[in-house]
Amino acid sequence: MWVSVEVNGHVYEREVAEHWTLLRFLREDLELTGSKDGCSAGECGACTVMLNGQAVNACMVLAVEVDGASVETIEAEAVAGELSAIQAAFGRNYAVQCGYCTGGMVMSVRELLRRNPKPTVAEIKEGIEGNLCRCTGYQQIIEAVLDVSGQLCRETKGELRYV
Amino acid sequence: MNEIFKYRAPSSRAELFGLLSDHGDGAKVLAGGTDLLVEMRSGLCRPEMVINLKKVEDFSGLSWSQADGLVIGPAVTVNELLDNERVRGSYPLLVECALTLASHQLRNRATVVGNIAHASPGADMAPGLLCLGARVLIGSARGQREMALEDFFTGVKRTALRDDEIVEAVTVPPGSAGCRGSYRKLKRIEGHDLALIGVALTKHDGAVRVGIASAAPTPLLVKGLSTEDPPEAVMAAARAAICPISDLRCSKEYREHMVEVYVRRLLEEVR
Repeated sequence: MWVSVEVNGHVYEREVAEHWTLLRFLREDLELTGSKDGCSAGECGACTVMLNGQAVNACMVLAVEVDGASVETIEAEAVAGELSAIQAAFGRNYAVQCGYCTGGMVMSVRELLRRNPKPTVAEIKEGIEGNLCRCTGYQQIIEAVLDVSGQLCRETKGELRYV
Repeated sequence: MNEIFKYRAPSSRAELFGLLSDHGDGAKVLAGGTDLLVEMRSGLCRPEMVINLKKVEDFSGLSWSQADGLVIGPAVTVNELLDNERVRGSYPLLVECALTLASHQLRNRATVVGNIAHASPGADMAPGLLCLGARVLIGSARGQREMALEDFFTGVKRTALRDDEIVEAVTVPPGSAGCRGSYRKLKRIEGHDLALIGVALTKHDGAVRVGIASAAPTPLLVKGLSTEDPPEAVMAAARAAICPISDLRCSKEYREHMVEVYVRRLLEEVR
């Protein structure tokens, strides 16, 4: 089936198989491999992308469903080589270990901050509950979100610490 | 995932019902897809046709009126329910149930009606909706029919729906607005997990109602209880209504025990 979909600002018109998920379309057809295929079952969140401005698991959407929609992936997060504020905070706070979950985490954090610009630690945990980090580096990720939302003081920015 | 199926995205009820009349036995309806795609991928379900109902006009409606109460259309996502002012004000029990359902990303896709129509024994929206006296509006080319939610579930992932029918809406009667109640979901971890058990309890006009998930082949409702009944009587009624199994999440005995514990706690909490 033919679909027309805007991905990271470009409109693509492609023939896509009915059984392809949005994730497979992004990775294999558009070669946007920043969205990862962790579980294929909506459990791990490594494939999280923004669909019409909302975070969704790309493995839980058929590609044919996004005809006419707008999608943003982790590849659009940095602009002209400049990291986004969320990405920079992840770096500053050592919130990346193996990196497999990071793209999905950043997407979920973007969604969280859109809805709630100053989340509490409990709200941050809730916001990323759909994203598994198998390195279990959650503490640093939580600190990165506190940092980017202006809730870490100058002294503790980029310092590993317990919240 | 099975690689050969037809995909249709009808834009009208007539077109949708026509497709279901012709292909109902081999077709699956796609709303949020968060259950369907998992089952298709694992081979549990191999439809010949997938019919996306999200493009059907009016199916995204979420409305409230004094006459009809809350009417939840089949394309309304769980997060849309959560963001609705009327739901937050008048049906806090549904908000509690919805917040325990999966993760934020999945709630952006998963639909309330899909959670009911999929009829998982552990459906998180079911205990609250059962307590609030929700009804199911069923539609097909042959017309509409309506039934109480408690009569809709017939077995594990089985419902009263015929092949050519869909759930057009789940409705919550206006009389349940402001009903006092709460939902407790037992999970292995604090984050995203399926329910070991889920228990909702309401007290309304002297009646106590208990909705229970993951403790029988279907979500179920225990009614006919009064706020005058001693806690032991309510716990015994809940215990008598369930028939849980042991599975990879926990044992039958643990479920039996925790249903009673949660009923007792909820009786104290809900004032």
